[in-house]
Amino acid sequence: MHFHKHYAYIMYILKSIMLIITLLKGVPSKTTQSASLTGILNRESMEIVLNPHDLKAVEAADYIKRRVGGKTIALTMGPEGKLSPIVRSLYTAEVYGVDESIILSDRKMAGADTLATAYAVANGVKTAVERHLNAVDEILNTVDSGKDALLAKADELYKQNLLPNSIYSNLPAVKDSIVNRLVNGELQSDAAKGLLEAIKLELGRFIVVAGIKTTDGETGSVGPQVAEGLSELYGRVLPHATYVEHFEIEADLEHLVADRVLGQVSQRLRMAIPCLLTISDEYEPALPNPLEQYLVRRNNYMGKTSAPIVWTANDIHADPLRLGLGGSPTIVGPGIDVGKPPVQKMVDRSLVFFTHLDKVELDGKIYGPFDKGDLADGLPPQLMEQLRANGSVGQFTVQALVEELFA
Amino acid sequence: MSDYSDYKDVWVYLQVEDGSLSRESLEVLAAGRKVADKLNQKLIGVVLGPATKETLKQAITYGASKVIYCNDESLTPYFNLRYIDVLTELTTKRKPYAFIFVENELGRDIAPRVAYRLNTGLATGTIELDIGEFFNALEKKKYENLLVQIRPDFGTRIAKIFTPSRRPQMATIRPGNFIPLEPDTKRRGSYEEYKYEGGQGSYPAVVQDMKELPKPKVDLREAKVIISLGLGILKDGKGNARNPREAYDFAVKLKEVIQAKYNLKAELGATRALLYANLKELEGLLTHDNQVGQTGVTVAPDVYFAIGISGSIQHRVGMQKSKKIVAVNTDPGAPMLKIAHYPIVEDLYDFMPKMISMLTEGNEGRKIVAT
Repeated sequence: MHFHKHYAYIMYILKSIMLIITLLKGVPSKTTQSASLTGILNRESMEIVLNPHDLKAVEAADYIKRRVGGKTIALTMGPEGKLSPIVRSLYTAEVYGVDESIILSDRKMAGADTLATAYAVANGVKTAVERHLNAVDEILNTVDSGKDALLAKADELYKQNLLPNSIYSNLPAVKDSIVNRLVNGELQSDAAKGLLEAIKLELGRFIVVAGIKTTDGETGSVGPQVAEGLSELYGRVLPHATYVEHFEIEADLEHLVADRVLGQVSQRLRMAIPCLLTISDEYEPALPNPLEQYLVRRNNYMGKTSAPIVWTANDIHADPLRLGLGGSPTIVGPGIDVGKPPVQKMVDRSLVFFTHLDKVELDGKIYGPFDKGDLADGLPPQLMEQLRANGSVGQFTVQALVEELFA
Repeated sequence: MSDYSDYKDVWVYLQVEDGSLSRESLEVLAAGRKVADKLNQKLIGVVLGPATKETLKQAITYGASKVIYCNDESLTPYFNLRYIDVLTELTTKRKPYAFIFVENELGRDIAPRVAYRLNTGLATGTIELDIGEFFNALEKKKYENLLVQIRPDFGTRIAKIFTPSRRPQMATIRPGNFIPLEPDTKRRGSYEEYKYEGGQGSYPAVVQDMKELPKPKVDLREAKVIISLGLGILKDGKGNARNPREAYDFAVKLKEVIQAKYNLKAELGATRALLYANLKELEGLLTHDNQVGQTGVTVAPDVYFAIGISGSIQHRVGMQKSKKIVAVNTDPGAPMLKIAHYPIVEDLYDFMPKMISMLTEGNEGRKIVAT
């Protein structure tokens, strides 16, 4: 093998293994759901659907995969029973789909505000990445255990969707995976270990994508907070860009350039990977070059995992004190009314005063004062008749409406 | 439990636009002033990046007791990670009782990470602020003088959010919900320049370019009259399908007539549902700039027409502070009719021409009876 070809091959297998993690949220399907008398929602009885803004994140993740290869993982948090159908529906889509999904589902995580949610999700992302690192470690530990043991281990991990084709593949088209070349004697044990170690480094370059916000009231805090949570967990700053309308990954696969909108300004931010993006509703993925798509496809993972992976607080090694209601600094107090109902006037129905009256008398009782436009409801019928007869009171008309609106 | 007794003063984060404080900054000053007065604490405006003396003075004129500003050269152009570092250091050193941001793209870019780093809560989308107490039933403990952060909650109600046991209590306010204070040029205040001590730092990101975008064609917040359309325009009172373009044309006519007759700035609004229906007939006519509601613009015009809008809470929180609401809907149970000052249970295809005719001819026009 010529040096340049060999070098290109190494670059290629090292880089095209990117983990792309999409954060999803299940939200109530109806936007006009009324609260019960106590103001408490019965979320269990609600129909939960994918937050519509998250579809753009799924599209962006799929674009990254088609552009540079790798594996898309959907990560969500909430009751498994509600979320499983949503993430399963994403597998069936050939384009804009996901390869794998993870549901963080644990009573300990329930009732979380954005801080506790971001903490749990950041731990989930880190665990998802570590799972792939551990798989490479398992291969590393088996490199010297003989052909059969190595092949068995590689096959086992590959079928769990944990190894990229570049490490091991059962696809007939991929003959040059590290494990295959080891087994065929084309690669020495030390060289293979070097390559696997380098792949581990590359696995640290993951991209997290999220929708800009959710429809059920949150306002886009979780994305940036997950970036902060990951910074805390990794001990180094993980950059983020919100409202991303367009982005490209640089040829070195180590940087990402994102265009985003901040008020009246468009900003171009160049970020080192790993990084986090929240994807604007305006985002439209570009079409990757077909040759590129073919090349990177060879370096994806096995394919789609059928069932969602469900993790508890234990599985993501999270501090239980920082999860759920207990880990949430904000507390939701009792619900309150949206405001007092206004005094209502109905065209062609309500009776209103046409003129100002200081007072009116009936049977020695004094009523008033009344202003023009005041509702005449609730006056004794006899008085009402009098007032209607002398033209002081009448039906509220479109004309009166126009006068009141633009007076 | 940490001791937070040395946390005091209400801080608001202010933004400079075209050389003066943004309209939204004046709103957050009004919001902060209200709670600072109730707490008997100072209101401090925080300005990062370049600002003239006049701009800083504006903060005092509009309600601040003091301005803390930092014009480190690393703060231009705007770069989120740098702003987050400076705000975190400033907040850690000075210990504000509350810190309020505007919920716009910039507020959403930095406030969440600052809150996470300070390990405190962030109540977003606040439409009203107050001071009050909270009784934690689990701890059997009463917290007094808390920031009451009022926001629409999970799409169905309005909730009060408290941050009882962390400081600062952080919130973002939704634009359009607080009226700026009357400017008072006699108000005295102090100014302090803050020098960031965290050094230049090295960041895994860099700003490559900043471009001004064209101003939006429609600015709903400036309008005195808004005529908003919802999915109800797809059918008339008899349940027959109608071309939504008809209702749109009526709305445009109504807008023009009102503008001409009363010299009031009128605009068209739309619900999220109508915009997301992507109707071919309305393509390019109504855009996100027209969207009223939680995910669009919050407005409080003098007159708000809700035409064929059932009134989901997300829409209502974006317009319920309008001074006069006219709701036209054939469904007597529509929530919008309940909050309207003028509920009109009528076919909008009858009402709109009537309204136009009244404004132009002074009468309700010829009644057209369908045969």
